[in-house]
Amino acid sequence: MAPSPQPRRPVSRRRLLQTSALALPAAWALGACAREQPLSGPTGAESSAASSASGSAAPSPSETGIPIASPQNPVKWPINPGNEPIASDLEPEANATLRLYNYPDYVWNRVLKGFQEEYKDYNVTVELSTFNDLPEALTKIRTGSVPYDVAFLTYNYLGRLVYGDLIRPLNHSYIPKISDAWDEFQNPWYDLEWQYTVPYTVYTTGIGWRNDLIPEDIGARPNPYDVFWDSKYAGEIAVLDDDREVIGMTILRDGGTDVNTADPAVLGATRDAMLEMLSLSQPRVTITGYTDIPEGVLSLSQCWSGDMITGQYYLPEGVDPSVLRYWSPPTGQGLIGNDFLCLPKGGENPVLAHHFLNYMLTNDVALENFSWVGYQPPMKSLSPDTMVADGWVPENLAAAVVKPEWFQVGYPLLELPPAVEAEYQAIWQQFKAGA
Amino acid sequence: MGDRSTRFLWPVLGLPAMVWIALFFLVPLYVVLCVSFGTVDPIFRSPVPIWNPLEWQFTQVGVVWDRLVGPDNFYLPAVLRTLLYVVIAVVSCLIIAFPVAYFTARYAGKYKGLVLALLVAPFFISYMMRMLAWINLLQPDGLVNSIITLGGTVPLDINWLSGNPYTVVMGLIYGYVPYMLLPLFAALDRISPSLLEAARDLGASGFDLFRRVVLPMSLPGIVAGTLLISLPMMGDYFTSDMLSKSPNTAMIGNLINLSIATPGQSGQAGALLILVLLVLLIPMILYTRSNARAEVRS
Repeated sequence: MAPSPQPRRPVSRRRLLQTSALALPAAWALGACAREQPLSGPTGAESSAASSASGSAAPSPSETGIPIASPQNPVKWPINPGNEPIASDLEPEANATLRLYNYPDYVWNRVLKGFQEEYKDYNVTVELSTFNDLPEALTKIRTGSVPYDVAFLTYNYLGRLVYGDLIRPLNHSYIPKISDAWDEFQNPWYDLEWQYTVPYTVYTTGIGWRNDLIPEDIGARPNPYDVFWDSKYAGEIAVLDDDREVIGMTILRDGGTDVNTADPAVLGATRDAMLEMLSLSQPRVTITGYTDIPEGVLSLSQCWSGDMITGQYYLPEGVDPSVLRYWSPPTGQGLIGNDFLCLPKGGENPVLAHHFLNYMLTNDVALENFSWVGYQPPMKSLSPDTMVADGWVPENLAAAVVKPEWFQVGYPLLELPPAVEAEYQAIWQQFKAGA
Repeated sequence: MGDRSTRFLWPVLGLPAMVWIALFFLVPLYVVLCVSFGTVDPIFRSPVPIWNPLEWQFTQVGVVWDRLVGPDNFYLPAVLRTLLYVVIAVVSCLIIAFPVAYFTARYAGKYKGLVLALLVAPFFISYMMRMLAWINLLQPDGLVNSIITLGGTVPLDINWLSGNPYTVVMGLIYGYVPYMLLPLFAALDRISPSLLEAARDLGASGFDLFRRVVLPMSLPGIVAGTLLISLPMMGDYFTSDMLSKSPNTAMIGNLINLSIATPGQSGQAGALLILVLLVLLIPMILYTRSNARAEVRS
């Protein structure tokens, strides 16, 4: 026999108030659980909860106290009290698990195994975790939930990492191989005196395509960037899934050179141009050009130089590697950048991590890694003038080789003031919403 | 004595589920609200939730509202696109699943369970893996094109993965059709065969039988299936991300995903999520009420 239903008791006003009162401790408990991490930078900048909807109301970096590094404004970051470099001549940690944090497919596993082999007397294990984008990486490093020893990042977030006391300064005595890197990176503008970083790879942003699918010399166009506004290639092309890269490319296409502009007129025109691109060529938005172009899913895409070099290995069977092409401004006056290695402060094996940085700057290791990831390490031994002749890069992809002098004339994508960053994000959202 | 023992039995048995709902639905929902009505860390651009509802700020919700219905309403095309895709996909799922469910319920006999299991078996594989498989199948030189072009003999140049709306809708249909099939089968299986025979005996034609007996009696299954697939479809971002990657096929889920991934915009993602939730609550409430009325009637 089914139980008789319980009579429904009406919710009295008293009961409602009692229930509501229960919610207050819950709200308090949640508040207490929230981790507040005040910044401990020397300027005393504190993480306040400033009101910001689209971010436009957020304070500029001058208000936050974090300088914005650029080639014209090189920055020597402070070393926060209590976060001094480790002492010299320490033994690497034994029986340690060295935790790396990196993009997927951005370091060769064989190189990591080589490190384990080299340090086998210390019984080292290397463990690699990956992130999809820098905001995700920053968030996870900030929570400190995993004690990463080494992170593969770029300079967009370096100020926040330093002022947030999230990375540790380097003890140079462990990293003598820095002398093998290009001189530009032994005192880079984004980290004067390389206090926190060592270089990993360099790259340009350009256009990659398969010339059997697009039998046109894109570089011979008066303005090669126009290809993204060419309805002839509708549905066949893509741009990078990165707001800064696409906005920067559009600014360059329209004759600008300041790819970090805060000028509302330029940004407005850029937004209009991007929406026009959307209607004309219906580009896809992806960072997997390194597989999509070789496989023929895309005929042409905005991509990083390393994508095309590594793309050779993703060609379907029977397709000649010589069909791949890459273009970026041959004068070097295009989008350019580099990634670096740094040591999150929460890492449990700082000495071993220093040894790892030195290992990655070793010529043989850097070259071995390059042969798999396709991204060029800025090593003196890898001369850009002979990379094609030496067989590192095929003739048809010679344009993907990055030259040191391009860092004097190229346009790096810099960190932006929060309000400007919010403008860029709004443009990107409108573009990605297919509006 | 019996009353006293059952008085506590059912609440105790229901307690784990209530705790589960509180921990994994109500608390997260409250966190989303606090993030949506919260602020942004000026340096790290991470969300700063405001836990006290009395201090909530409405700027983030206002921004999302403006982008939906204000002068700068660039979210609106994605919303309309999502509705269109969902309607087409749900109707297609219904058209595909109904005959299959009817056949299984009426004619599969003792193999009913086996047929049902075989129909649902491909969907034991994760959604992501199935979409990845479709990417391979739909490549320019993939199996689908090989079949359509009869091994390349018919000169057809179809690039399914070039950001086409029909590929996304097809992905949605493929991804969600079993969730339509199961409630439909349950509803159709409950229809007594003698009822159908009686209708036939009374002179109903095949079409009349379907229109006046089968369809009305399977309506709860149709409504349940429609709700079951349309609700997750409204928030789906993965299908468009995997099979299209084009802004021209962006859905609401893609906008939410983009906001979550963008520093400083988690609050807007939360606000968008809440607006979608509020819109989706309407059909849910209607469904619950119609179910309750049906129970009362029966």
